[in-house]
Amino acid sequence: MIETPETSASADGFSHAAALDILARSRPEAIKAFAETHIDELGPIEVAVSRTGLAMLPYVDTVQNTAFHLGEVLMSEAHIRLPERGVEGYGAVIGRDLEQSMAMAVIDACMAAGIGLAEIRTFLADEQRLQAQADETRLRKVESTRVRMETF
Amino acid sequence: MAYVATRGGERAIEQSERLYREDLGRIDKARVDAIAESLPYLLDRVMGEASLYAPELAALALAQSGGDLYEAVLLLRAYRTTQPRITIAEPVRQDELFTVRRISAAFKDIPGGQILGPTLDYSHRLLNVGVLSGEDFVPEAVELANTPAPATQPSLADWQKAQGLIADPPAEHVLLDEIPDVTREPLLFPASRAHKLQSLARADTGGTLALGYATMRGYGNTHPTVNELRLGEAEVRIRHPRGTLFSTGRVRVSQAEIISKAKNLQLGFSATFGWNEVKVIAAASLDLASSQEKPHPASNEEFVLYHTEPVESSGFCIHFKLPHYVTFQSSLDALRKVKADQAANKAGAPAAGAAKPAELEKAIS
Repeated sequence: MIETPETSASADGFSHAAALDILARSRPEAIKAFAETHIDELGPIEVAVSRTGLAMLPYVDTVQNTAFHLGEVLMSEAHIRLPERGVEGYGAVIGRDLEQSMAMAVIDACMAAGIGLAEIRTFLADEQRLQAQADETRLRKVESTRVRMETF
Repeated sequence: MAYVATRGGERAIEQSERLYREDLGRIDKARVDAIAESLPYLLDRVMGEASLYAPELAALALAQSGGDLYEAVLLLRAYRTTQPRITIAEPVRQDELFTVRRISAAFKDIPGGQILGPTLDYSHRLLNVGVLSGEDFVPEAVELANTPAPATQPSLADWQKAQGLIADPPAEHVLLDEIPDVTREPLLFPASRAHKLQSLARADTGGTLALGYATMRGYGNTHPTVNELRLGEAEVRIRHPRGTLFSTGRVRVSQAEIISKAKNLQLGFSATFGWNEVKVIAAASLDLASSQEKPHPASNEEFVLYHTEPVESSGFCIHFKLPHYVTFQSSLDALRKVKADQAANKAGAPAAGAAKPAELEKAIS
């Protein structure tokens, strides 16, 4: 597996990878509303890509260590450019919500252009907390099903 | 086999489709949402067989097909062909899954422990008929543990390999775009392991179960037990244009390892989209059985993979409903001729141009 470049820090405290992880999993309506608040600050936007498509998902067989294709995942993707600032923004989320992927691309472009970093940091922290809470609640339920068997 | 173009019946065809759709009634977003919310395991099954992870579209396909699974799978497979492939994601590894269920039937004390997760394995299967008379079924809330389970669980197979209990073949490094893909290359035999596991991942659940069950019952020389069964969510990790690897979200997956102690400890494997335990257990059994030196015909690799492909098998089956008039008409002509000749033979000498014995056999074969 190739290591994730961590050099392109986005918002203070969040690596680019961590920020993208959180954005892709953010609540759709929340990220759309948040992106809307910054879109006017970006200036002219060129939309290079806004589409749905497929990501083939490989899986590694645990028996013979063979990588094989499990199937394809439908996702929406957006790639924008800010010609006046010389930066790009990218978003990709599972599903077919083009507005969601575009909102992610707008925020990614904001991070690259240094726009609204404080608000982005707050947004990321809020979404990260919600995502962590959801995972923890789920995993506490899962832990309740742990079984300690005795055979006799 | 011969095919013929037929003409006529356009109105009947149009009205028959109308009748089918009229019977199903109006399809709106609310119906699709209700299907997605209430039938997640059915969505999983359809997505696994379609080899396309798209819950919203799977629900729509089920709404449009009225729950006919083969039609739903066909709709999704057809939709898939309209979409470009954006990328190939990073390979999913078992020990990176967000795990909600993980059990072993063969080994009691496994690293990470046994976690039942969401299951009806130990429950009575009773209909709540009260629901039909207005008594809503409200599930009891799960009592939260004080601490969360680890999000990921170690691989049992890795532990077994480290213990020297099972073979540990070296991992072959394959570039992502060089992983064999049955959607772009023909399935040839003997199949590569990548083709075999991909085919099983998108195989028909019922067909896989039928052949897997035959193997389990003894039509083969393996004696399967579940080494590990796991349900979880896999991150779909792709690259940002600047090179950053990130997760676009999670998809539900299931995987099973089957262990046999016939000669030495051997494992079979299967994984699929969605949570579908029957399919991965049956498919892993078939992986193991078909890997034997002289597999039983019912678990022969070619037999299994060809006959569990849902769209091809269901399509071939239902194509017999379509006009075969030329083929059948020629057979009928021959049969009538034979019958006429037989009647003539009983009455006396064969008539001129009477069918010969070879023609008789051909006509009725």
